[in-house]
Amino acid sequence: MPVWLREHSWRQTLTAVYLSLPVRGARATPANIFCGEQYLKVSIPPFLFEAILYAPIDDTNSTAKIGNGNIFFTLYKKEPAMWDSLTLANADKEKLQHLRENAVLKAHEKTKEETEAKKITKQEHKKYALEATMKVEEAERKRIEDLKEKERQKVAKELELWKNQQKDADKYKSIQKRGELHQEIEPLKERKKEKINKTRIPNEGTFKTRLKSTKGHSSCSMFSQNLKEEQLPAPRSAATIKVNFTPRVFPTALRESRVAEEEEWLHKQAEARRIINSDLSELEDLKEEEKNPDWLKDKGNKMFAMGNYLGAVNAYNLAVRLNNKLPLLYLNRAACHLKLRNLHKAIEDSSKALELLIPPVPDNENARVKAHVRRGTAFCQLELYTEGLQDYEAALKINPKNKNVEKDAEKIRHLIQGTMQSS
Amino acid sequence: AAAGPERPQVVSHVQQALSYTVFDCKWVPRSARLLCLGSAARGTGIVQLYELHGGRLELLREIEKPKPIKCGTFGATSLQQRYLATGDFDGNLNIWNLEAPEIPVYSVKGHKEIINSIDGVGGLGIGEGAPEIVTGSRDGTVKVWDPRQKDTPVANMEPVQGESKRDCWTVAFGNAYNHEERVVCAGYDNGDIKLFDLKSMSLRWETNIKNGVCSVEFDRKDINMNKLVATSLEGKFHVFDMRTQHPTKGFASLSEKAQKSTIWQVRHLPQNRDVFMTSGGSGSLHLWKYEYPAQRSKKDSEGSEMGVAGSVSLLQNVTLSTQPISSLDWSPDKKGLCVCGAFDQTVRVLIVTKLNKI
Repeated sequence: MPVWLREHSWRQTLTAVYLSLPVRGARATPANIFCGEQYLKVSIPPFLFEAILYAPIDDTNSTAKIGNGNIFFTLYKKEPAMWDSLTLANADKEKLQHLRENAVLKAHEKTKEETEAKKITKQEHKKYALEATMKVEEAERKRIEDLKEKERQKVAKELELWKNQQKDADKYKSIQKRGELHQEIEPLKERKKEKINKTRIPNEGTFKTRLKSTKGHSSCSMFSQNLKEEQLPAPRSAATIKVNFTPRVFPTALRESRVAEEEEWLHKQAEARRIINSDLSELEDLKEEEKNPDWLKDKGNKMFAMGNYLGAVNAYNLAVRLNNKLPLLYLNRAACHLKLRNLHKAIEDSSKALELLIPPVPDNENARVKAHVRRGTAFCQLELYTEGLQDYEAALKINPKNKNVEKDAEKIRHLIQGTMQSS
Repeated sequence: AAAGPERPQVVSHVQQALSYTVFDCKWVPRSARLLCLGSAARGTGIVQLYELHGGRLELLREIEKPKPIKCGTFGATSLQQRYLATGDFDGNLNIWNLEAPEIPVYSVKGHKEIINSIDGVGGLGIGEGAPEIVTGSRDGTVKVWDPRQKDTPVANMEPVQGESKRDCWTVAFGNAYNHEERVVCAGYDNGDIKLFDLKSMSLRWETNIKNGVCSVEFDRKDINMNKLVATSLEGKFHVFDMRTQHPTKGFASLSEKAQKSTIWQVRHLPQNRDVFMTSGGSGSLHLWKYEYPAQRSKKDSEGSEMGVAGSVSLLQNVTLSTQPISSLDWSPDKKGLCVCGAFDQTVRVLIVTKLNKI
């Protein structure tokens, strides 16, 4: 049970009520005071003071002063009128309760509104701040732009000036040239007339030197040019220097970042060529050349070209038995199998070829494209169109410029869309 | 690099869209005119002469030739004549008088395949000695020509009999400080850099920089060779100190990885030989400054002289295009003015400011 504080004193004017509430040593903070429009409560456990005011007050402007063991309220009346008493008499419990709840609700609403208002003002402040910074940045940017523009204009003006100087210099030079020509022709003519009179030559000499001094700033003229030509050394006697290059297998330019890959590929190729796996017993009765995988590959190519696909396959088979690391054997055998409609074998061989064509370097580009295309074709003929399309797209990725591959890829896409629609 | 107030800035002055692929662009010496060389879609060669006028490039003349043109130089011509030497896709070296371009002043089918790079020395009032042109071709040979001698080169650097050839991608003259001395530096697609001495007609030095060499240039052609910059694939470039050659180790060098893509060109500023610009496959330009070390040479354990490489610092970089900038040329007359051509069929005139303050 709280201890009710009843020793309060109050006085009033027309517009305000002054209430003094001693709290007897208990520490009061603003949190202990709750004030509504018509309801006032001070709760400092265990003390409690509650009052239903006679008439509504303006609780936003009313104040409470805490100090000296006393809370001094200044309550501004909503309606200027003299109150009969501080609190409402005959306040029954229900009314009290009702009023209390109202007051609480009202207080809640007020705080809500206050927070809303605060939020809005905060946002507006933020916006303002943002706009202000933007303006400042804009001004800065503009200043830099202006500086740049000024610089540009200054530089352009200088350029024009310089250009005009050049023009004038050129004009001056061309006038000079004409003048010189004229002046040179004169003495020459006279020379001819007088059949090389020696006394004339020193005159010409001085004449020409006088010309030199009238030259102005440009040091070049036809005259000095002639002189220079006489002073130029004769063309060099022709010679050849033999040059050796740092060896490089690939025809492409050297790039540091690709060196590792290229090395790997070269290694693989070198190894492949060296391997000879063989069942010597079976192969004893073969001729020397028939034991050479390259020779067998050529034989196979020729038979393919003539249409003898089975023969070609045989040749490639033997070659593979001798050396199973040459990707081109598998590649070509795949082509044969395609022609023979051994589609699964074609797929197998193309896959094996692709395995051997790692790492991918520009050197084995063509081979890789062919392998993808052959495998793609085999898939399509088996009606596995999505796999086929994958291979065609891989081929396009390596060589996007190949028109045939593009066309075929388009066809397959249409086929796939067709089957999807119908199913 | 951030735009600090004292750093050189690369200001884009003019941009011109072209209707053909431009492979090379060059300033016409002693003028505000520039040339663009390239290949039209119909497979012919184009030479266009522009003049800088206000803020635009005005087309003065367009010349069409039967074969696409890959490279050109004014290096071996006199200042009056200003004849242009070009190399085309067919291996022909031609020298043109731009006033009368119908018939070339000099013409020779120098190579069996495209001439990738050309350089000239002995002209323009710079340096001494005979005017000579060097061409490097896909057929693996590097040939030096004298415009006064028809049909045969005065020097031919070709592969040994039976050796498989490598593409020569770039050539440059150097060390032409008197009548006799001259060197040619050539870069190849397998990373080889070879230095040929024309006075003794021998190979003076070679090295391999592990990536195809896109561009080589000496900081000056007409002085005792000082520095050589070689750029390559994979975004690297090397600066060699050419003053001291060690008997086995060759020339000291430093290498820098500027970016991820190929560095197509390097060009030294004609007015300051320690500043150079590199152009990249990502459409960017980087401006560099070389700092010499405290001592340019030192003795090694056996007492032979060996060079010491300095350091290089990035002054500025800018990205102008999404396509590689394949050609670059500084104006010899106005400091900081340069032109660059990119594979987006655009030629741009740029001005680099504050170069005086470096």
